[in-house]
Amino acid sequence: MNAPQRYERFVLPEGTKKVSYERDTKIINAATFTIEREDHTVGNVLRMQLHRDENVLFAGYKLPHPLQYKIQVRVQTTSQSSPMQAYNQAINDLDKELSHLKSAIESEVEMMKP
Amino acid sequence: MEGMSYQRFPKIKIREMKDEYMKFELRETDVSMANALRRIMIAEVPTIAIELVEIEVNSTVLNDEFLAHRLGLVPLTSDRAMGMRFSRDCDACDGDGQCEYCSVEFHLSVRCDQDQTLDVTSADLLSADPSVVPVDVANAARSASFDSSENKGIIIVKLRRGQELRLRAIARKGIGKDHAKWSPTATVTFMYEPDIHINEDMMASLTLEEKLSWIESSPTKVFDIDPNTQQVIVVDPEAYTYDDEVIKKAEAMGKPGLVEITGREDSFIFTVESTGAVKASQIVLNAIEVLKQKLDAVRLSEDTEEADDQFGELGAHMRGG
Repeated sequence: MNAPQRYERFVLPEGTKKVSYERDTKIINAATFTIEREDHTVGNVLRMQLHRDENVLFAGYKLPHPLQYKIQVRVQTTSQSSPMQAYNQAINDLDKELSHLKSAIESEVEMMKP
Repeated sequence: MEGMSYQRFPKIKIREMKDEYMKFELRETDVSMANALRRIMIAEVPTIAIELVEIEVNSTVLNDEFLAHRLGLVPLTSDRAMGMRFSRDCDACDGDGQCEYCSVEFHLSVRCDQDQTLDVTSADLLSADPSVVPVDVANAARSASFDSSENKGIIIVKLRRGQELRLRAIARKGIGKDHAKWSPTATVTFMYEPDIHINEDMMASLTLEEKLSWIESSPTKVFDIDPNTQQVIVVDPEAYTYDDEVIKKAEAMGKPGLVEITGREDSFIFTVESTGAVKASQIVLNAIEVLKQKLDAVRLSEDTEEADDQFGELGAHMRGG
């Protein structure tokens, strides 16, 4: 009767920010991005893409609790870059990768059709 | 460092493609991408399913909620789903979620007036939208050769004389994360492509009987004997299930290192099985689209970036001064 609504897992509550950014107070060029209503699907691809960036010294993500529907992505970069720049870069690269993948599949599917 | 790109260009090769099944190779990317696509295909590619049932008459042996649950699980053709709205963020209807942009209405009215039991099936569900119908009904309509005596649709309930079922149902767009009835897939799997290297010198030191018993130790047919040269050959590397049986067998035979098997960590073999709601190939394309949308949604908003710029200047000022 007091079970939470199922949609609470993926619908952003009104007035909440999807992504919030918090700089580390002690380490320079380090920050934590808190992403609301996301899970391993986005967390892990983002982390792996950040690892490809040579200016990223550290990138990791965690799902703090299975009933808190948010993930935290922590990034530390060299002074050549910034966590925000690396984060934006990772999303842009993933987006381009997916666009490439999409057209690749579309042309393959077209070829398979008789 | 601006303008630097760490983008990848994955390659795709479709091995087999049917409406409800697809097998393909995905190369030159990593597991995180493969797994994200798998997770999205299962839980986040939208389909349409019955969500609300208003029962007018139910004198059947099954109670109302039992029937509502069964109706919800009937797969409906969902090619429209990607373009539809979720009824929770549909503004054309004021929150009741009953407009053409976010819902499809179904009617069912069956009464048994004979001594034989009467089956109420998915074929009795009458849709208000001809593009959204139960999957088995759509299949039967498409192929005239389909044996209709074999396929009577998905049985919802059986009626005896005098029993009646009359209801109205609203189908809505949803995702598998909400409820499994909205998942477009039956199974989605991926595996690393195996790389199998036989140490030929060591293999040559085995007798034919030893070779045969080693081949037999694999639970799946991965290796065989070439009938001409009597050499051990790899007939089907993908049949290997990473069970390590052949490796253990080689060790037990006192021949460690006889074979070396590794997974290629940038090559995946995917299988996608659809429920029929969406074509298998379309599920893959939709999954890519959904992941793109998700990534777009996690971009930093302008005001967050600006707030940090100011903070950055202030911080630099404080450090410098």
